[in-house]
Formats: sequence, structure tokens, C-alpha cells
Amino acid sequence: MKRFAAVALALAASRVSADPLRLRADALATTQSPAGLVMLEADAKASATINAEAVLWTAASPLPGQEAGDVLVMAVRARTRDGRASGRIGRFVATLGALRPVHLDGAAGRVRLPHRFDVEAYAGVPVMPGLATDRAWDWAAGGRVSRRLGDFGSVGVAMLEQRDAGKLATREVGVDAGLQLDKHDDLGARFAYDLANPGIADVGGSVIRRDGKLRGELYGGYRAASHLLPATSLFTVLGDTPSSRAGGILSGRVAPRLEVGGDMGVRGAGGDIAPALALRTRLALDDKFASAISGELRRDGLGEDKWSGARVAARIALPYSFTAASEVEVVVPDVDRGRGRVWPWALAALAWDHGPWHAAAAVEASASAEYRRRIDALFTLGRQWGAP
Amino acid sequence: MGRAVKQRALVVVCVALAACAGVLGLRKNQPEAFPHRKHVLSGIACTKCHVDIDKGSALHLPQQETCIGCHTKPHDSNACSNCHGTQTAVDALNDARDHLKFDHSRHLPRANNNCMRCHVGVAEGDERLRPTMAVCFKCHEKEQSARQCDSCHRDLETDGEMPASHLAHDGNWLRDHGARAASSADLCQTCHTEKSCASCHGVTVAALPATRRFADPFTASVHRAGFAARHSLEAKTDPAACQSCHQPQRCATCHIAKGVAGDDRASPHPAGWVGPFDNQHGREARRDPAACASCHGGAGEQLCVQCHKVGGVGGSIHPPGWRSNVSMGSMPCRLCHPIGVR
Repeated sequence: MKRFAAVALALAASRVSADPLRLRADALATTQSPAGLVMLEADAKASATINAEAVLWTAASPLPGQEAGDVLVMAVRARTRDGRASGRIGRFVATLGALRPVHLDGAAGRVRLPHRFDVEAYAGVPVMPGLATDRAWDWAAGGRVSRRLGDFGSVGVAMLEQRDAGKLATREVGVDAGLQLDKHDDLGARFAYDLANPGIADVGGSVIRRDGKLRGELYGGYRAASHLLPATSLFTVLGDTPSSRAGGILSGRVAPRLEVGGDMGVRGAGGDIAPALALRTRLALDDKFASAISGELRRDGLGEDKWSGARVAARIALPYSFTAASEVEVVVPDVDRGRGRVWPWALAALAWDHGPWHAAAAVEASASAEYRRRIDALFTLGRQWGAP
Repeated sequence: MGRAVKQRALVVVCVALAACAGVLGLRKNQPEAFPHRKHVLSGIACTKCHVDIDKGSALHLPQQETCIGCHTKPHDSNACSNCHGTQTAVDALNDARDHLKFDHSRHLPRANNNCMRCHVGVAEGDERLRPTMAVCFKCHEKEQSARQCDSCHRDLETDGEMPASHLAHDGNWLRDHGARAASSADLCQTCHTEKSCASCHGVTVAALPATRRFADPFTASVHRAGFAARHSLEAKTDPAACQSCHQPQRCATCHIAKGVAGDDRASPHPAGWVGPFDNQHGREARRDPAACASCHGGAGEQLCVQCHKVGGVGGSIHPPGWRSNVSMGSMPCRLCHPIGVR
């Protein structure tokens, strides 16, 4: 009887500990590289304050030497009950305010200080693809100090230093701000400055206003590619030819099932300036937007790389948890350079989502600079365990 | 045009407009929101219809029998909720059942059995039944300040629920999220797990989420549809955008794998790329240095140094006023500047 009770207790205990564990497995097979891909995702909560997550994949390709696998995420996160301090250790993408994200094997932490100040920092070894182990004294470390402004926003200053083989690769400082100005307006902005080769690396921001079913936005951005490369590269000493963009977006739901939006902007780089325009619309075929048709017209590019494009997509919900989808895109480059005057692309897919299962098959056809004609098939099968 | 033709045309236009209105969702004969306010003003206690809600029932929808208890002579045999209650309200309820940890029986005593203390929207009309998060935060202030969203919410990433104070995810979120997440990383983490960032910004990404969910054409992605065909145009237009996620080696790795570049291929550069008269490579290298670094990075930089070293025929590659904090004896300075030569 005691043995029976012990077994029952063990089973109950394993059930209790397994409850918060969630797993997901996805397999993707295509006739183009990678020919086969399996992704496994898991996350679990040991308690209200500790959780862990892992995402890894393995792929096989018909091309010799292309078989691969890697760990995308493997991290444990912990926090205090009052949320004042939190930390994580493992492999993860670390972000600090306006500075670029870094994929890291290391540790990161955050502490809330009095007077609404927050301090966060990370340190570790930048991830190399393919489980590479031949890294020589590569490291990255960064920190950010920020101050919360009520419950409507915050401003922060961050700094990052990265070394490749002990040599200075990145030293960058950034300032960021995010504000929910009122019920209708919000603002986000960031500014990153390269200290290794002094110059502006990245600036971006947008102001958004929502008024009923209409939404307006003004945005702008500036990036200098040479400041985003590691300073150990010879190509960082060539000087600035930044790319920039600015414009406005107006979008809204003009009828219960019809969304319309337009993006009118300009791009500039290396003395070239050109308009970047997009007009998008989506018509729902039911109130839940499960079935819908969308259309998009675009005009983009600079100099000889300007192009015009149109895209139509449809998703139709069918009985028995099936969904049919189709997309057609046509791109017309201004200058064909012998690579074809029109680049059409089309995809037809059938998906099945039933409880924890997801399966889909598709046929993709295209003609482009790379292939005069190409037809590929895609298949995916996924399952989730432990979803709420 | 005769008058009869005009009249027929007018009829056709009216029918077409009516059909369009239906397609656009502009219909009048939709089910109406359940008249909660009318019931409340009639003095009917909430628990008369929402029976047993004080005994542990989580989120409750009355049964048909409950309605018939008072409305003894229904005007047809259909279910009451077919017309008196919107599908969106039922969907919202089911959504809440899936994603909220909530128990009415624990809240009712604290609210002195007064449902209106939380369901304040019922006093204003029938459309807004679920209390806003601001109402919850009147009591759950500690959870809000500690950002313990999971004390009430389950699986926030798929739920997509956000308090009004959070930066919204609408518009071109894909393009803007960098500027907006910059100041709110801790907020992002209340809903998003590590894979949310790593799925795109990770160095070891095998396939983007939209690639894996190819059957949903409305999944946002920077590489949507025929991106493979137009990627060279987009990369040349905004080269730094690629570096947000990709290492410079990415171009060469992929091009070699696809057979469009490599040792056995002819030079991809056009005529006049390097030369004394029509010299394009300097301008292009300044505009898209990552593209150069992809093939000529590392040991390949020696190719540049053959001409651009101090005293070389290529002259200085630095623009006027160039300055750097990298030490002269370090890489890449020492490639062109022998020790002690500025």
C-alpha cells in the first residue's frame, strides 16, 4: 500500500511540475535550401519568479556541407517577487535602449532604484554561428541607466563595448525615449553614436496620433552602414554615406471590414533622393477577419535600383479547420540590366489548424534575376504541447 | 440617354452600393449588444441571470433557460442570444476564459457583491462589458508596479492584450519597433519571451517566423513574398537595414551556396569598377561597406591595401576630416599605416 501511495505521489508530483512546461515542434520541408528544418521550442516556469526557455533547430540541405544545427535561445530568467530586480543567464538577444541588439552567451540583469531610476547591464561572448568554439577573447558588455516618467514613458542612456579577439570592434553610446503623451499620441525615438570612429550610427523616431478609427504617423530615420560594421573592418574607415528616410502614414478602418492605409515618404542615400510610396488595403470577408483579401501597391528604391510592385493576398477560412491562402506579387525594376523586366512571384497554400496541430502545404512559383522560372513546394507540420 | 435607362442605371447603382455595404460590413440587421443597461435599470440583480457566479464560476454566460424564466413568451423559437447579444461579445468572453486567471467568487465579497464597481461600462451602455485594466489596477496596484502581468494573464504573447498605457503595436510596427522597444525592453518582456527577439535578431536564425508560417499571407515580415528576387534592390537602397539582423558575411555565404559567387565565378563588378578614369568602387564602398566586407572582409582586405596603403597609388581612403579613436597599432589601421607612419 505504501509503495502504491509512493508511486501515486510521484506521478502526481511529475504531473504538477510538468503542467507549466510548454513544448513546440515544427518541421519545415522545402524543395529549396534548407531542404529540411526542424525547430524545437520549450519554455517552463519553475515558479512565479523563475522560468526557462530554449529554441534550437537542425537543418539538412541537398547542398554539400550545408547540414547544420544551432541553439537560438537557451536562457533562464529569474526575478524578485516585487519585480525590483531581474536577471537572465544563457544564450539570448540582449538589447539596451538605442543600441543595436547583440546575440550573446552571457548574463544580463536589471535593478529598479529609488526615484524611478532603472539600471540594466549585460556581459558575455557574442554568439557565432554553427556552435563555433574558436573564439579568441571576444566579449561584449553594456549598460543603461533610465528614468521612468510616471507610467507613461521613460528616457535612457546606454553604452556598449564589444571586442573581437581583444580588438575594439564597437564602442557606442545611445539615448532613447518612449512616451505615451496622452490617450491619442505616443512617441518613440533613439539615437546611437559611434565612439570608435566618431559619427552618428543610427537615428530613428516616430510620432503617432490615433483619433477614432484613423491613425496618423510621422517617421524619420538615419543610418550609417560604416558605423554599424565592427571597427576592426577596413570598411569602417571610408567615411559616411548614410541612408535616410522620412515620411508619414495615414491609415484607418474606413468601414467595419475595410482597412485602408497610405505611406508617403522619401529615401535618400549618397546624394540620391527618391519617393517611397505604398498604398495598402484589406477587406475582411467576415467580422473576425479570418477571411480577408488585401492589395498593396509600392514604389521604392534609389537611383538605378528603383522598382514598382503590386501584391494581392487572400486568406479564406474553410470548414474543418482548413484555410486556403494565396499571394501574388509582381515587381518591375526600372532598369532591368538583362535580369528580366518583370519579376512575378506567386504562392498558393492550404493550411490546417486543429487544436495543437498546424499543418500546411504550398506551391511557390517565381521568375527573377536568379531563375528564369522556378517552382518550389513547401510543407510544414507543427504541434504544441501544454498550451493554455 | 432615355429616362427609363437612367432609372435602370440608378437601380443598378443602388443595388451595387447596397451589396458593397454588405461586403464592407455596413449592415443594419446585425445582432445587437445584449441590453445589460436596460436590465440593470429595471432593478434586476446581476446574479439573477448570472447564477452561481458567486460560487467559483470563472466567466459566465447565462443559459437559454434563465432567459425563459422571466421572458415566458419568447417571440420565436430561436436561441435568445442569436439576436440579443453579439458574437464579438461571446468571442471576447471565450478569449478571456482562455487567457485570464480570474475567479468572480473571490472578487464579489471584496466588491460588496456590487458588480458595477468593476463593470462600470454597463452604466454607460451595452457595448463595453469587460472592465478595463485601469479598473483592475485600482486594487492590483502592486501587480502593476511590479509588472507581474502573469498574476492575472496567461500566455500574453498570443493573447495580445495590453493596458492603455503601453505603446501600441499598430501601424508599421515591424519598422518602428526598434525605436519604441528601445525605452521599453522591460515592458516588452512582460509579454514576449526570448525567442521574440532572437527569431529575427539572432545570429543563428534558420528561418524567419513568416517563412515558417508561409500559409498566412498576413504575417508581417521584412522578407515577405518575392523578397528573394528584389533583395538586391532593397539592400542597395538601404544597406544599413540589412545589418540590423545580418552579419556582413551573410551575402557571400548565401551567394556562394547558391552558386552566384565564389572562386570559380567571374568578377561580379561592372566595367570601370576600378580604374584611373571611371572609378566606381570608392563610391559604392562608401555607400554599402557591408557588401564589400562580405567578400573582401578579413584577409580579403589586403586587396584594397595593395593600392590604398600610405604612399600607394590609390591614395587615402579616408574622407576629409576623418578621425578615429582606434589605436594606430590596431586593426584595421595597421593594414595601411606601418607602425609609426601616420
